[in-house]
Amino acid sequence: MSENKSDVLQGTLDLMVLKTLESMGTLHGYGIARRIEQVSGDTLSLNQGTIYPALLRLEQRGWIKSEWGVSETNRRAKFYAMTRAGHKQLVRETENWERMAATMARLLSVTSGSSN
Amino acid sequence: MERVRVLLNRVASLCRGKNLDEELDEELRAHIELATIENVRRGMKADEARTAALRSFGGVTQVRESYRKQRGLPWLGQIVRDARFAARQLRKSLGFTLTAVLTLALGIGATTSVFSVIHAVLLRPFAFREPDRLVMVREVQNAENSRAEIAPFNYRHFLRLKKTAKTLEDIAIFQNRAYSVSPDGEHPHMVGGLESSPNLLPMLGIQPILGRGFTESDAAQGAQPVTLLSYNAWQAIFGGNANVVGQMLRLGGEPVTVIGVLPEGLRFPQLALAPKIEFAPSAATREVQVYRPMVPRPEMLTEDNGMFNYKVMARLKDGVTPAQSASELETLQRSYTASAKLQIPIGAVVTPLAKDAAQGISGALWLLLAAVGAVLLIACVNLANLQLARAVNAEHETALRAALGASKMQLIMARLTESMLLALAGGVAGGALAVGGVRLLIALAPANLPRLDEVRVSLPVLAFAAAISMLAAIVFGLLPALRSLGVDPQAALRANMARTSDSLEALRTRNVMVGSQVACTIVLLIVTALVLRSFSRLLHEERGFDTSHVTYLQVAMLAPKYDDSKPGYKAAKLNFVDRTMVALRALPGVQSVALTSAVPLTGETWVDLLTRPDHPVPDAEKPMVNVRWINPDYLATMQMRLELGRDFTESDRANPFVALISERTAREGFGGENPIGHAMSNIVPDGEHAVTIVGVVADTRINGLKDNAAMVYVPYWTYVPWTISLMVRSAQPGTGLMAEMRRAVWAIDPEVTVQAVKSLDAQLNDSIATERFQAIVLGGFGLAALLLALLGVYGVLAYSVSLRHREFGIRIALGSGKGKLFELVLKQAAVPVLMGVGVGLAVALVAIRWVRSLLYQTPVLDPVAIGGSVLLLLAAATVAAIVPARRAALVDPMRSLRTE
Repeated sequence: MSENKSDVLQGTLDLMVLKTLESMGTLHGYGIARRIEQVSGDTLSLNQGTIYPALLRLEQRGWIKSEWGVSETNRRAKFYAMTRAGHKQLVRETENWERMAATMARLLSVTSGSSN
Repeated sequence: MERVRVLLNRVASLCRGKNLDEELDEELRAHIELATIENVRRGMKADEARTAALRSFGGVTQVRESYRKQRGLPWLGQIVRDARFAARQLRKSLGFTLTAVLTLALGIGATTSVFSVIHAVLLRPFAFREPDRLVMVREVQNAENSRAEIAPFNYRHFLRLKKTAKTLEDIAIFQNRAYSVSPDGEHPHMVGGLESSPNLLPMLGIQPILGRGFTESDAAQGAQPVTLLSYNAWQAIFGGNANVVGQMLRLGGEPVTVIGVLPEGLRFPQLALAPKIEFAPSAATREVQVYRPMVPRPEMLTEDNGMFNYKVMARLKDGVTPAQSASELETLQRSYTASAKLQIPIGAVVTPLAKDAAQGISGALWLLLAAVGAVLLIACVNLANLQLARAVNAEHETALRAALGASKMQLIMARLTESMLLALAGGVAGGALAVGGVRLLIALAPANLPRLDEVRVSLPVLAFAAAISMLAAIVFGLLPALRSLGVDPQAALRANMARTSDSLEALRTRNVMVGSQVACTIVLLIVTALVLRSFSRLLHEERGFDTSHVTYLQVAMLAPKYDDSKPGYKAAKLNFVDRTMVALRALPGVQSVALTSAVPLTGETWVDLLTRPDHPVPDAEKPMVNVRWINPDYLATMQMRLELGRDFTESDRANPFVALISERTAREGFGGENPIGHAMSNIVPDGEHAVTIVGVVADTRINGLKDNAAMVYVPYWTYVPWTISLMVRSAQPGTGLMAEMRRAVWAIDPEVTVQAVKSLDAQLNDSIATERFQAIVLGGFGLAALLLALLGVYGVLAYSVSLRHREFGIRIALGSGKGKLFELVLKQAAVPVLMGVGVGLAVALVAIRWVRSLLYQTPVLDPVAIGGSVLLLLAAATVAAIVPARRAALVDPMRSLRTE
């Protein structure tokens, strides 16, 4: 079976960005994108550019904040970090996701069971 | 909460657009660089690294797009873009734009002007405390042999209700008076005044800004005479002097103390004594400037069966409806009739104040609004037709947008934006025009239009103008906008734009629009025709008197020497009147001078019950008559006809207790018998003498053109009222001698006031001013509607002929005669026009029922009005259709077939 690079929905991208920032601290846009790619192990088809509208969205909602700084290559770049509200949102969204996943899993196992 | 944050963020970034763009670009550049560096570290070559970085990034333009969508208010940008584009398109077809804006400006301006009048006169509440609880109360006289008559109030009955009515929080009595004010050294002039019970102004919530209001002690017998001044009176008479309280003012010759000044905006509404009694004060006395407490004379406190002379206003208790109060008052009145054994049973009616003040004019005004609204609608349909034609030409552009992925909403907005811009421009221009329009309406309006001085273009009126602009935009913009949704991109983008045929759907749409215009026009024309015929009938009714070449003066003998406390006042009045009439007759060109006790054409007054000593009859069965005191030249001056018996002569001065009656009085009071020689009592104020009838005068409409009245004429030697009207007939037209007449009067006694000097023709015009106003304005609107409908028929027909150019060329080439083509086009026009007439007639038959109350003796199904309107419209439509039909017949087949 060829790899199914699934398209990433808006909301889940937000969740991934928040999680990344929580574990990595402060990162610039490229760093966040690379980290998500690495962690997902190439199962995601993510055009790296789509990170930027997501970052703006999160910033508008007050869950992350941004600051211009200097990268490791001595280049000017925008760095992002979580806010306190962002931490709370991450907890909430993680719970939602896990609940959804559990429900789906139960639903799918029931169906495959009865088809036997 | 989140949404608000996001929204604020978006709005904030609207301003920083450029900066944020640059920041994003820098961020993206940084991203690509970092990715490139990492790729190089992995081992790729420089340019390979960069290409790979770009590839894994994805589309930069798309990222920028979705970033911008997230960032600002994208729909706002879209609107601005649409507006700019629409403005450019409009500038390209300047002719259409100017026509559209002008049509809209006129339509919206006219509608706004009419609404300004309606808002000030009918809708805006009075500036009193809780004005919706204020009501006017009137008595009802239930005479047995005639209909119940609504009458003014009797003072004793008022006192009774004041004591016993439970549904009323407060009740006040008042009457309008005219006072002569004598500033030092000048001739006295008249001002309007109001005499009231002391609680009237507090009941309305009015407090003086200087001094104090009236108290009960001011209304007691023998109290020191006091007055409250209106703000304008204070400015005019005392120059706004802050020390006016305590100063003296001569009112009617007697000194009166000023105790206070009332607030600036106070305008006491004009209220009729009773529906039949017209209140037509002269311009000088219309505005109430002087307020006085009503000190009841002894007879007012004892008289139960007569003296229905006053107006009563009341405040309902909280939560009580006028109907509830009316039934309580009616019951109280009935029980009083029984307990006091009144000669005529009485009842009561309660009318909300706002409705009462607008009585008689509200129907006419709403009709005007409906008419002008119809004109605006017709104009909008015209514009819609024009827009449809333009939309066809813009199909190319619409198709392009659709092909590029525009959503349905975006397509509609693109088309609608043009209409909105037009409506905006039209609305602003219309608002400006309305300022002038309001002034025009005020100039045309009858002078006794209530609250006329409050009519202006105010904020609610401007809001109304904005609202109908939006409505207009939607009405004429929606159709072409919806049409743009049905455009097939493939067909429209084809290079060959030749249209050889007209889609059936488009034809049907246009026909429906023309049909609806015609229908609106027919309704408006029929209503206008009815009103015009009614007005014409009113003017041409047999009047029984002649107003041309007659000037009248109203003179008030309000100087101290004529006061009834002075001995010999009667002789003084008689002397003045005799000498004045001699002096007036001596003026050059004067043919005769008449005297009467009431100004002609101002309604019924001095109404008494006809009492015959030889034929006693209970009061309830006595007819009511208007009594007038006249001189022997009266009939000749007014050119009234004598039917029976004789006129008064100078020799009657020795034995003056004679009378003339009108035909109606003879009919109502004497049945078939010859009234000459019979006596009537209760006519002369001294209460002692009866008068003997010596003649019968033909019926005249001397009180008002709408009705003839039952009159009794008595010579002035029996009684001279304090206010008299002198009518002067001269060879010159009415206005020639006015200054001389004033001088002649003041030469005899400089202390009398000359209240009005006017030609009787002008007075006649003023008495029908409301009907004339209606006729003029409706006529104007009807004409406008006809013209617009004409333009509509012409425009649509011309357009469809232009579409069928090739077809006509082919037909002619194939041998069809020109006459046939002419017929063809006319037939095409006939379909929507005839359908429109049919629908319009049906609607009109329903609508004219509402107009019935405004018409004078004109049946609503008047064949001349209806038939005439239909013929007029058909004629106009035929004229409109002829030009395009001719153009169709004159098509040159060679030229049309060659054109692509």
